[in-house]
This record gives sequence, C-alpha cells and structure tokens, in this order.
Amino acid sequence: MNRSGRKHTLKFDPRTELLLLVMANVVAFTQHSIWVEIAWVVSLLLLIIVCGCKKAAGKLAAAFGICLLLQYYIFPNGPKILASSFTILVSYARKIFPCLIVGTLILQKTPVRELMVALRKCHIPQGLIIPLSVTIRYFPALKEEVGYIRDAMKLRNIHGIEKLECLLVPIMISATTTAEELSAAAVTRGIENPAHKTSMIVMKFGGQDFLCLAFGVMFCFISIMVG
Amino acid sequence: MSNANTDKKMKGKDLITIGIFSAIYFVINFAFMLMGGIHPVLWMLMPGFIAVFAGIPFMLMAAKVQKPGAVFLMGLITALIYFATGQFTLVILISMASTCILAEVARIVTKYNSFKGNSVAYVIFSLGMVGSPLPIWLFKADFLAQITEQGMPADYVSAVEALSSNAMLIVLFVAPIIGGIIGAFIARGLFKKHFVKAGIV
Repeated sequence: MNRSGRKHTLKFDPRTELLLLVMANVVAFTQHSIWVEIAWVVSLLLLIIVCGCKKAAGKLAAAFGICLLLQYYIFPNGPKILASSFTILVSYARKIFPCLIVGTLILQKTPVRELMVALRKCHIPQGLIIPLSVTIRYFPALKEEVGYIRDAMKLRNIHGIEKLECLLVPIMISATTTAEELSAAAVTRGIENPAHKTSMIVMKFGGQDFLCLAFGVMFCFISIMVG
Repeated sequence: MSNANTDKKMKGKDLITIGIFSAIYFVINFAFMLMGGIHPVLWMLMPGFIAVFAGIPFMLMAAKVQKPGAVFLMGLITALIYFATGQFTLVILISMASTCILAEVARIVTKYNSFKGNSVAYVIFSLGMVGSPLPIWLFKADFLAQITEQGMPADYVSAVEALSSNAMLIVLFVAPIIGGIIGAFIARGLFKKHFVKAGIV
C-alpha cells in the first residue's frame, strides 16, 4: 500500500523487517569485532534513512557515536568514578543498538495492522497475534496515561510511597475499562469470527526485500566467522 | 462472568485483556531490568523486585481471565518483546517456558478462581525471571570471559565473580518466592480497597 503515493521512500515487507530483527539479534550476540559492529550499525542506519526515518536515524547515530566515544576515549582517560558507574550501561546500550534501529523502523513505518497481516501469513495462531498487537499498541497509551496521572498527583501534592498506589490503581482501572471497550469494538468488527481473515493489504516480497535479506544473511555469516 | 467458567476457550475479550495487562507487566519488568544494569547485586535480586511490584497486573489478569493459557500467553508476549529488544538468552527462554507451564498446571489444579491458587501460580511465574542472571552460575567461566571481552570493567567482573557463590544462588531463587508472596498480598490489599468497590473484579 501507499507505494504509488510515496515513491521516494523504500518500503519493505513487514516479514523482511521481522527477519531483520532476528538477524540483528544474531549479529548482536555472535559478533566480537568492533568493526563488524560498526559496519552493521551503519548499514542498518542507511537502510532506515532510505526508508524515510531520517530524524530517528540521526538521533540513533549520534547516540551510538556518543557510546563509542565514551567507551574508547573518555572512560580510559577520564576519572575512574565515571567509568565504573557507567560502563555497564554503555556496553549494554551498544549491544542492543542494531535491534533498536530495526525496532524504530518497524514502529515508525509499519502500521500494526500490516504487522498483523504479516504474522498471519507466517501462520502464527490468532490467539497470539491479537494479544501481541494489543500489547504493542498499548505502550503509547500507557505512557500518555502515566503523564495524566503524574499531573493529577502534582495538583494534589501526593508524595512518597503513596505515589506508587496512586499511580498503579488508576492505571489498572483504566486498563480494565480499555480492555472492555476495545473488546466491545473488536467483537462488533468480527474478531470472534472463525472464518479465515482477509485483508485489503497486498503483501508480496519484492526485489528490495530479497536484496536486504541477502545482505543481512551475509552479515550474520561474517559476524559468526570473525567471532 | 458465570458463563466464562463454563466456556474454557479463549475469546476475543480474554485475548485483549491479556494483551493489555501484559503491556503493564512488561513495563514494570523492564524498569527493574534496567536497574539491574547498575550493579550485579541489583541484577541478582531483580526477579524478587519484579515479583513484588508486578503482582497487581498479574493477579488482575488472572482474576479476569479464568481460562487455560492466560499465564502462558502473558509469558510468551513478554519473551517475544524482550527478544525484539535483543536482551534474550536461551536460558531465560527455557526458565520462563517451564515456569509458565507449571503456573498453568497450578491454575488448573486450583480451578482458576481462588486467591491462593492464583498466588501460587504467580510465585511460580515470578521464578521465570531467574533465568536472566542464571548463566552466571551455569557457565561461570565462559560468562566471565564473555563479559570481560565485551568491555565490562574489571570491577564489575570481579563483583560478579565474588557474588556467584552458592549462597547467592539460593538468594536468587528465594527472592522471587518471597517477593511473589508479598506481591500477591499487595494485590489482594488493593483488590479489597479499590477494585472490588469499583466493580472491576
């Protein structure tokens, strides 16, 4: 979809993106060479720039650069207290960068309904797809909700341990009402219909998907070989 | 909900409820996972901390969806999202899968609707997160070599080594059990104080 409308950005099949995520994991856990890591991160960044996430790519590139800078220049030379308290955080952060990049791509450029169609095409049971997509979709709503509750707590001057209860209870209650409302909406739209679901979205592997996957597989091999 | 007890197959509503509470569970879980990066002790106590605070979404979900598979789905979703963020190892996958299955068994035995049964299921479910620091004991030498190579500072590595005693292993397993019991009771307190009154359980 949208292929005719926005020709200037590349669009991948959601299944390609999911496979890329798996590959990002594989590379993250097998590679031991900093150059393989940098090459992998840079090519993923290029990929998401081509797909149109320029802003996010810039931010991620800056963050990755800062991580490298910290780990290789500031920690060895700077004060020891800095190194001992932040190294763990920085090395963990560096490790999850490839996944973060692919994750950004999926979150920004793939609507949840396309993701659902892709998962359905992979023959994943409906019983898993529904809760999974609800979970993913609920994170932003949860963030918004917490913001409102924080504001309300500030107005009422709630502090200390009481804050926890005042945060959790409204979240739980609103989560329950959301569940009710969402189910009512979903049931009316036929979520319980046992028939095979059809979709408006046409999903096909294109040249760019194969190219991208081939590239990913190549990287996995390199990282396993070098490591 | 009387008709939910007779019909044991997951409906759309149950699936959506599980999805929403899994999101809350994951957020709580993730917050403590991040804290674990600060010091190895926090990492080893992490399953316990999570157990104390994640009881409310779990117990509410368990009260709302009294059907087989609910706990398993919650665990599976957590696992899948962790996998997507690149922080998942095979050990934690196995520990979570096995505890989810045991928790399901506990719920079948206790017929899904008792507080005690759900608490037992919750304690077992909480034990699943033990798999995160468990590699320290399972493959001690390899693990230490690996984190050294990844650029962890010597202080951290020696702290991990010092902590990887047998006593700490027991703490690792006992913490989520105690935490789980506390978490379940916190959940019950809040149920009585708020949720029953609001009519949502």
